[in-house]
Amino acid sequence: MEKVETMLTEKETEKPQVPEFVVRFSVLQRLEHFVAMFLFLVLAVTGLPQKFYQASWAQWTIIFLGGIDWVRIIHRASGILFALLAVMHLGTILVGVLAGRIKPILIPTLKDFRDAIQQLRYYVGLSDEHPQFDRYDYKQKFEYWGLAFGGMVMITTGFILYLPNLATMYLTGELVPAAKVAHSNEGLLAFLVVIIWHMYGTHLNPDVFPMDTSIFTGKISRERMLHEHPLELLRSSASGSHPMDGGKGRSLEPQLAASAPARLQSANTPDQSREISSE
Amino acid sequence: MGIHETLTLRLGSLRREWKKRWLWQRRRILCLAAGGAAMALLGMPPLPVGPPPPAFASGTGDTGQSAAEVCLGCHGSAGMTLSFPSGETVSLLVDPQKFASSVHGKSLNCTDCHTGAQEIPHPQLKVKSRREYTLAQYESCKRCHFANYTKTLDSVHFDLVSKGDRRAPICMDCHGAHDIQRSGEHRARISQTCARCHGEIYASYIRSVHGKAILNGGNTDVPVCTDCHQSHSIEDPRTASFRLRIPDLCASCHSDKVRMKKYGISTNVLDTYLEDFHGMTIALYRKQGFTQKALQAVCTDCHGIHDIQPTTGPGSLAMKANLVKVCQRCHGNVSENFPAAWLSHYEPSPKKFPLVYYVKLMYRIFIPFVIGGLILHIILHVWRMATNR
Repeated sequence: MEKVETMLTEKETEKPQVPEFVVRFSVLQRLEHFVAMFLFLVLAVTGLPQKFYQASWAQWTIIFLGGIDWVRIIHRASGILFALLAVMHLGTILVGVLAGRIKPILIPTLKDFRDAIQQLRYYVGLSDEHPQFDRYDYKQKFEYWGLAFGGMVMITTGFILYLPNLATMYLTGELVPAAKVAHSNEGLLAFLVVIIWHMYGTHLNPDVFPMDTSIFTGKISRERMLHEHPLELLRSSASGSHPMDGGKGRSLEPQLAASAPARLQSANTPDQSREISSE
Repeated sequence: MGIHETLTLRLGSLRREWKKRWLWQRRRILCLAAGGAAMALLGMPPLPVGPPPPAFASGTGDTGQSAAEVCLGCHGSAGMTLSFPSGETVSLLVDPQKFASSVHGKSLNCTDCHTGAQEIPHPQLKVKSRREYTLAQYESCKRCHFANYTKTLDSVHFDLVSKGDRRAPICMDCHGAHDIQRSGEHRARISQTCARCHGEIYASYIRSVHGKAILNGGNTDVPVCTDCHQSHSIEDPRTASFRLRIPDLCASCHSDKVRMKKYGISTNVLDTYLEDFHGMTIALYRKQGFTQKALQAVCTDCHGIHDIQPTTGPGSLAMKANLVKVCQRCHGNVSENFPAAWLSHYEPSPKKFPLVYYVKLMYRIFIPFVIGGLILHIILHVWRMATNR
């Protein structure tokens, strides 16, 4: 950690005009998060009262929204939009990866598991060393894949419930109540993860309290980059591109794909960091 | 003393009797109210209500004849008839035995209801037919039975009466006139009464599991017409608001553990229904008070309305085979697989609907595991932050 910091300080001295912020998310990514957030909220507000419809708060919500028929219409419409968003997301990644423009950096690696263990060792006091993260740490990857798999379950089961006639054309009818159980439980799980984990990570976490604004503004402070994603910062500096120029509005992913030197990818292992410092 | 004077005397005594009775009742009500208030204040259980009101004197005139006997002097023997302008001729015979054993035999006199016949000879009737006479008479019931009369005003029968339909039933059509019995005494008779007009429905009812039980075994657990349709405030059962109440109607017996245990019938039929899509919608429609449309399946759509058959035995197979047709009524041309989407009131188990059961079980483990892990992670983070400081 200290070594990386020293390196970065050295770099900074070479470039006197360093902006305080780094662009972390492109406009499209910010928009995608906003739409996903909005649809998630609508789906939760119209979905949970259906799961717990016998509770008074749920009945109040349903009546407030104009009755169960309206709640279902809103829920299904936003569900379809959510499915479209998911298709667009997957399509963009697929095309990007095939064209070589995007490196699938969100795929979990062995380092993520080592990081998680290291982080827990740090939390319980077995170690004084933080793991050093690249562009996405293991927690962010966990949340991304949780959303990806959960979303797939929700979309599939949602469409089974929406079009049971079609679903039972060739498949057993039992699929429909099973889909209902899966949809309602997966939805509850997603809601709990967002309420507990995501809200902690982006709001209540003392590091970012009261709110981590980077997904809305696209910007992250250099200080936080250094603290939370030092490897990414280091890689960008090492490759000569400007992670801090703030003007391009593009994510760092293409740069990562193009320029990441292999030695930097595992910079937090001790022997490798020796290599870095020897350079 | 002539008959005329006897009647006048009798009327006088009747008026006095009524007045006495009313005063007594008023005193009783006031006493009870005061006593009740005192009891409530003192937190004591209410005492049994005081002695019954004095029996209505079977008034004897100066001649030693009861008022009824006066009437029966003419109406107690056969041969007396009355012809209406409509051409109908009715016998004016009243069987003294029947009247005496009716609920009113000891408490009412003829002229209490036949108020227009207090003079002898009776004034000329202004009605044109027998039915018209009955319709005019029916108002006399409400003088005592006001609560039930009021209920009938909300009924589908009264709707027809008020529209001028003379066939629609009024009090006497169901209860009788001179031979009125307590309606609860012979439960099977209730449905037979309705059958006089609703014969087709009755024929279907007596073939049902409920109808058979009451007709063959005198079973009093099964419903008769009035248990579902009410006796006085009979609502049009084709309305959405009635339809919304059907699950609760059936559940009023089918959720009764004591009653269902006798027949080995599950009592969670309502809960399993409410857990399903249709039950949820019906329950919410009721909550919302939306009564314009209630096109969701309710109990009667699968089980039948009046011809309900047991769900075990040969009839049940027909029901199961029929299920896809029931679904198709609303869901279009669905396949044979479709009805299995409804769990047939079963709780999912490893044997019945294992897919649903195991998905449920998986989430019951998975959700606490994930959420518990995340919370632990957060707690550890907070703890480390706190100890670092």
